[in-house]
Amino acid sequence: MSKRSAFKASLLLAAFSLVLAACGDDLGDVETIKLAVNPWDGSAVNIAVAAAVLEGEGYTVERVEIDENAQWAAIAAGDLHASLEVWPSGHADNVASYIDGGGGVVNGGELGAVGKIGWWIPTYVVDQNPAAGTWQGLQDPATAQVYATAETGDKGQFLIGDPSWVSYEQDIIDNLGLHLEVAYAGSEEALLAAMDSATSRGDPLLFYWWTPHSAFSKFDLTAFELPAYSDECYASGAVDCDYPDDVLFKIMWDGLEEGAPTAFTILSNFSYTNEDQIFMLGQLDAGLSVDEAAAAWMDANESVWQAWIPG
Amino acid sequence: MTSLTARSAGWRRPLAYLGGAVLLLGGLIVLLPDRIGAFPPEWDIGFGPAVNEVQQWWISNRRDLGVYLYFFDPLSDAIDWLLRAFENLLMAIPWYVHVAGVGVVFGRWLGRAGGLAAGAGMLYFVALGLWEQSVQTFSLMTVAVALAVAIGVPVGIWAARNDWVYRGLRPVLDSMQTLPAFVYLIPVLLFFGVARVPSLIATVIYALPPVIRLTNLGIRQVPTESLEAGVMFGSTSGQLLRKVQLPQAVPSILAGVNQTIMMALSIVVIAAMIGAGGLGQEVLLALRHQEVGRAVEAGMAIVLMAVMLDRFSHSLVGQGRMGGAHHTEGLRYRYWWVAGGVLAALAIAGWTIGWTDYPTALQFSYAAPIDGAVDWARDNLYQLGNLPVGTGPFSDFLTTYGTRPMRLYLSEEAWPVVVLFFGFVAWWASGKKLLLGSVVGTVVIGLLGMWTLTMDTLSQTVVAVLMAIVIGLPLGVAASRRDWLERGMRPVLDTLQTIPSFCFLVPVVILFNVGRIPGIIASVLYAIPPVIRLTNLGIRSVDSEIVEASESFGVTRRQKLWKIQLPLAMPTVLAGINQTVMLVLAMVVIAGLVGGAGLGLEAVKGLARSDTGLGFEAGASIVILAMILDRITQGWAARFQPPSSEGE
Repeated sequence: MSKRSAFKASLLLAAFSLVLAACGDDLGDVETIKLAVNPWDGSAVNIAVAAAVLEGEGYTVERVEIDENAQWAAIAAGDLHASLEVWPSGHADNVASYIDGGGGVVNGGELGAVGKIGWWIPTYVVDQNPAAGTWQGLQDPATAQVYATAETGDKGQFLIGDPSWVSYEQDIIDNLGLHLEVAYAGSEEALLAAMDSATSRGDPLLFYWWTPHSAFSKFDLTAFELPAYSDECYASGAVDCDYPDDVLFKIMWDGLEEGAPTAFTILSNFSYTNEDQIFMLGQLDAGLSVDEAAAAWMDANESVWQAWIPG
Repeated sequence: MTSLTARSAGWRRPLAYLGGAVLLLGGLIVLLPDRIGAFPPEWDIGFGPAVNEVQQWWISNRRDLGVYLYFFDPLSDAIDWLLRAFENLLMAIPWYVHVAGVGVVFGRWLGRAGGLAAGAGMLYFVALGLWEQSVQTFSLMTVAVALAVAIGVPVGIWAARNDWVYRGLRPVLDSMQTLPAFVYLIPVLLFFGVARVPSLIATVIYALPPVIRLTNLGIRQVPTESLEAGVMFGSTSGQLLRKVQLPQAVPSILAGVNQTIMMALSIVVIAAMIGAGGLGQEVLLALRHQEVGRAVEAGMAIVLMAVMLDRFSHSLVGQGRMGGAHHTEGLRYRYWWVAGGVLAALAIAGWTIGWTDYPTALQFSYAAPIDGAVDWARDNLYQLGNLPVGTGPFSDFLTTYGTRPMRLYLSEEAWPVVVLFFGFVAWWASGKKLLLGSVVGTVVIGLLGMWTLTMDTLSQTVVAVLMAIVIGLPLGVAASRRDWLERGMRPVLDTLQTIPSFCFLVPVVILFNVGRIPGIIASVLYAIPPVIRLTNLGIRSVDSEIVEASESFGVTRRQKLWKIQLPLAMPTVLAGINQTVMLVLAMVVIAGLVGGAGLGLEAVKGLARSDTGLGFEAGASIVILAMILDRITQGWAARFQPPSSEGE
């Protein structure tokens, strides 16, 4: 919807809401639901689906593009009402201060999709040198040298992106005795560019990445072998194993339940699987817009999203 | 020629100081015990935790605070309403009315060619499908600049009339300009909510200083004769301000407004990180998909907007001065009435037949060739065959022999040596006061717990500035000799300074590998224009009589350049270098986004982890570093100032 028609629509809606208010409706006082769109495609398709469902129930939805960390303060203030894909591994501090600390945000339940952080390498690296794809291999300085750069000198480089991605890299490297040095690419964009550059020449690169992500459709990547995840390994405080699965969850403003009960219920029930999200990401790669991709998924899965709406 | 001999003596004295500094350093390194290394971490008394506590308290108590309920909240609602209304108004007018309207206004002020160019510029926004984004960015800019003027002019006047206010304001203004906007994004969000309003506030904070500075300057520069004349006729202080000082300060104030517009446009992309939308959002979206071409299209739209607003504000100055010099009043108004009438008719026609959107069939894009060029560069420029030639080997070379050794030296060397070295350079450049300032400043950086990171950033800054000088100085000299080169370079330099650096983020990483070098390259691209411009300007404004006199003595071209033109242009060249240093430091955060560790990455961490305290500590260190380097380069420039203009 263009800005202008949005403006007209909101005028119309204002007129209608006067009428509706007289009749007494169950939408609540908050009729414009503001949803946070974080800078990755998964977040954008979640929000597109949620927006379509909420609009079907008579709400106006406003989408605000915002950094995933900056969104917490905004949701706490009620300036934004919900964000639908939070990666727990990256937000321990935010959860502590905004949810557990009574900072105005509530946990809105699981998204259903499950993410997985791990170490990744281009597949050609293991093809040429299988030892470079396992943690045992990198205990040998000579093998780790494969990943060396001018910056890291005689150690191999382990590349991580955004500093907000909470990581156990240093622990894992120290505790397993790997000859690696952690370097920050600074942002997801820079890490993607580094992948593009390295794979174009067939250069080795070892980095932090996660599924589901559209990068897998562009690059042929293999998981680097770390010792398998265990609860004990993380409980011990000296992490020396792979990452756990990341159970993605939703967050909401703590005033939403009172302000817009129907929307609150819909967003709390909102849940689907990795396959659902990957289906929509595939539609994006095929050139569809986020809203078209969401519509395509909703056409094929009506029973799923109908079940979110309170009867 | 006397001034020339005086200057060559002026060259010798600093050299003696430098020799002294080296000796002192050598002595200290030998004498100091080995165990003194980097600044002791246990002396870290940073204010980060305190800042975070305040933030936490604000988050938990905000909704019960009167100041939030009755001040910040309504203020933010009012601004939001204003912005939305403005956006909707602009969007409601058919696109061709905007194109024609801007063409008509510019055509009137800058002639037919100017009008056509401005119309074509407007067409760029619609034809590339960036209309809605451009309108959003434009409204945000307009309201931000209006707010900056509404705050800045009165504050500037106050500062001009009260020396204490001026002295107190200077460090505040310096901080506002050098503190990375990243640092205050979260706090602004906490006070003003989300989307348009916090972006607006962040923009105003960043763009406010030039209006204040130049209002102050303009009023202070009003000749005392005019003031005395005013007093003689019995003007009150208020009358004096309104009738004498302000009118004479108008050109200076408008120059400040112009700079404010440029500053505001330079943080469009960062503002998009907290929901500003518009063209900045378009750049971020393109980056997410590694679409360099699309990012450049949106970036060029920002450049175009900057150029058009720049010309517009310049012609405002012209209009203010000349009034209706060329036309009689009647004719002047008739032009606007006719133009306005035709435009209104066009708009009504568009609304009646419902034709207000630009036809999608006529849209075009030049993203594909740019993406192709980036891929080509990746495949062909990274390394030529197996030769150690190309961007990859260059990056390795610069790391191995430039940034890495310098960083290791600065951060592992005994910290008192580094502090004293700074102090010495400061003393040499400007005197005792700066010596004290820089010693205190560097120690404070240490106490903030930012010592190692600051040394990292410093080494990157030095390498970037040296690169900018090595490339920029010869280009400036070349431009000063050839008019066509100067003319050809101007749009390129304007573009480099206004295009968001985010647009180069992907190519620099692809070509120079993640790490400190891509950030340095991006900084050089952004910061090189002042060196080129001011070298060119400095050489061109060397007194032609001196040059001619030297020619009559039969000096060669090379001698003329090295012995006469460059030394005489030195103050101007150094002013350019000073600006370059500041611009490089402004890029520190961008460098952090492509792997340039140091203070930039720390500031990014502050935002990324909602650790505002950490962000402020890193930001404060950047500000201190910037102030010290600024004063040193300024003091240095002043040394080369001919005695006559300095009044020594």
